[in-house]
Amino acid sequence: MPILYGANPTWADVTPVPQEDGGPHPLAAIAYAEEYSEAMGYLRAVMAANEYSQRVLGLTEHIISLNPAHYTVWLYRAKVLDQIGANLADEISWLNPTALQHLKNYQIWHHRQTIIDKLGSPEGEGPFISTMLEQDSKNYHVWSYRQWLVKRFDLFDEAELAWTESMIEADARNNSAWNHRWFLVVGRKGGQALEESIVDREIQYAKAAIRKAPQNQSPWNYLGGVVRRAQLPASSLKDFVLEFADLDEPDKVFSSHALDLLADIYTQDEDKKDEARKALDLLAVKYDPIRAHYWNYRKGLLDSSPAAQQIA
Amino acid sequence: MQESSNRPLHGANESGLQYAKHIKYWRRNLKTYLPHHYTSNDSNRLTLGFFILSALDILGDLQPALSAEERQGYIKWVYSCQIPTGGFRGSPGTDFGSLRNDGNAVWDPPTVPATYFALGTLALLGDDLQGVKRREILIWLTRMQRPDGSFGETLGLGDRIEGGNDTRFGYLSTGIRWMLRGTVEGPVDGVPDVDVDQFVKCIRDSETYDGGISEDSLHEAHAGFTCCAVSALSLVDRLPLPANFAPKADDRIRGVSNLPLMLHWLTARQTMTLDEEDALDTYADETDSTATCHDGHAFLPHNYTSEAGRKSIESQPTSHFEMSWVGMNGRANKIADTCYAWWSCAPLKLLGHLELVNKKPIRRWLLDKTQHIVGGFGKLPGYPPDIYHSYLGLITLSMFGETGLQDVDPALCISTRAKEHLESLPWRKAVVGEPEPSKAETVPDLSYMTITGG
Ligand SMILES: [Zn+2]
Repeated sequence: MPILYGANPTWADVTPVPQEDGGPHPLAAIAYAEEYSEAMGYLRAVMAANEYSQRVLGLTEHIISLNPAHYTVWLYRAKVLDQIGANLADEISWLNPTALQHLKNYQIWHHRQTIIDKLGSPEGEGPFISTMLEQDSKNYHVWSYRQWLVKRFDLFDEAELAWTESMIEADARNNSAWNHRWFLVVGRKGGQALEESIVDREIQYAKAAIRKAPQNQSPWNYLGGVVRRAQLPASSLKDFVLEFADLDEPDKVFSSHALDLLADIYTQDEDKKDEARKALDLLAVKYDPIRAHYWNYRKGLLDSSPAAQQIA
Repeated sequence: MQESSNRPLHGANESGLQYAKHIKYWRRNLKTYLPHHYTSNDSNRLTLGFFILSALDILGDLQPALSAEERQGYIKWVYSCQIPTGGFRGSPGTDFGSLRNDGNAVWDPPTVPATYFALGTLALLGDDLQGVKRREILIWLTRMQRPDGSFGETLGLGDRIEGGNDTRFGYLSTGIRWMLRGTVEGPVDGVPDVDVDQFVKCIRDSETYDGGISEDSLHEAHAGFTCCAVSALSLVDRLPLPANFAPKADDRIRGVSNLPLMLHWLTARQTMTLDEEDALDTYADETDSTATCHDGHAFLPHNYTSEAGRKSIESQPTSHFEMSWVGMNGRANKIADTCYAWWSCAPLKLLGHLELVNKKPIRRWLLDKTQHIVGGFGKLPGYPPDIYHSYLGLITLSMFGETGLQDVDPALCISTRAKEHLESLPWRKAVVGEPEPSKAETVPDLSYMTITGG
């Protein structure tokens, strides 16, 4: 194992602080590599002394490469950057490959937010995010980060919407991309109601995606969300739903999600309880048996008293 | 996907929990050094320690596994992670020992997760928590809450609340609050309470259009955040009340504004996408086939437009998938993963509706597909076991009623035995009163009819 600090004259003035492990019965003790133990000893020493310097920046980089989830080392690094007046663009250049190495790490994104926030510009972030999404197109951290970026720099514009559309086009089952569309359409308005033209556009968009892949749950969920948000009755979707699931043709059902919505539409109609029951039966027995318990529960609710059916 | 991998096992190969192997796996985690790839978890050793001891507790092996001296030793270790001003550090790695002072204390802070898991571990080990700086923790907790109601992970420079504002920290904060002061609202012994109303509002703000809970307002629904939110609401006694539930009805703000939609979303987490081969890239393949839809009937293509789609349909069998194994995922159109068995089913349990999923094939999936031959559970079939997935797989089976496992509390993610130990402590009774009766009979059975209405 290379000894990076002990034999290094640059660090000769620092006495490392060894780890105290609280007696003979530590929990979850880890067989640390010598490299990590040594670096941590020096980190404790410089943190205890509140040293903010170029060499410390290198040390935090070293620790992060071995343990990116070390929460205080990131906060400490941010302070060092601040104190030594580091070039923040360089910090981003270092963060890019580091993020690619640690796809599931959370702290890295928080740190990136801090830096980009200070830089005050989203320039270059789009291409970087694309690189990240090439590794994992549904990476939760990356989408969350993009949403922060949109909010921070007010990017609720047509270009962002077009980019989201390209992501959905590439993979209609990318639910993160669908959600990002929601974030843009609804987030742009703050808490306000959506204009009728926007509601209409979103409904048409979801419908077109469903026609391509009727069993894809993402656009169905999106469609339901838009309809609820606009306070339209579910029955406004009945004709569309019948394209995929018609009780008169129970062998030609193209989507369990259509059947689900059809059951819901019938449930809300006092005179259509039998139809609702039939749709739920088809789901439980034939088209979505994996959720049979749930469909049967919904069926059971058809017989419960109206008083118990109302949202309090 | 291979057809054969979906056939039920034959006769003698009845699914079973390999008790002896799990005990061996967890005892090894307890008593020998964890391999160095756990270094990336070095800052969360209290969390790992909690999982290890709690797993042994659930397996009924905690008593046999520990000598009195070891038990005291572990208790002592947990206390060694207590910060002089209250709360616990995540691991000894940030401890400066005698060099600690007011000027550098910010680099060795208590964290919300560490404090929750420290208290849980002490409860597991039968400690009375008399050595815990309880008052200081409760004061600190009020400083961990932001004006929007969310909680952070730790306090940074200038008392800035660091860490995400998602429900993970809200859950663990309300867990700490429950352990130290139950569900009593308002000041206790002169220590102010956190703002429960604002916290509930913050959760409601993370509700998504499809019925789950996300990391932040308008973000994507995720089972982990959903579970944390529902558990937290349970711990502050703010889950929805049934419509006809008069005795405790009040006008306090409650969480989950559209329960039927959440039940819909949670049950939709059941999936047949179990292998990485199943979760094939759907890039440029927007058609419905057995390759892209594992979640139910293999639908015949309505129409298809792409070359990739045509090939995918031609190459796939069109038979029904048998329901031998059903997995749980954490988001729409994602692969099943052991940990989501817990994150998706625990909220159902807390909402009084675990019966809405089919436990049998989920149990079989855990036992046949992700249980590992050396004990523990991996994330996906064929993955090596790790502490996190092994714990959540095990506790899910316990919640499902697996024979031989100890009962668990879904909100605290700990054995009922450990919970009852906490409730029996005299100092806690003095604050909270006698333990409340089991919540099992009071959970809402909200018979709201429709998802889209209202
Ligand atoms: Zn997992």
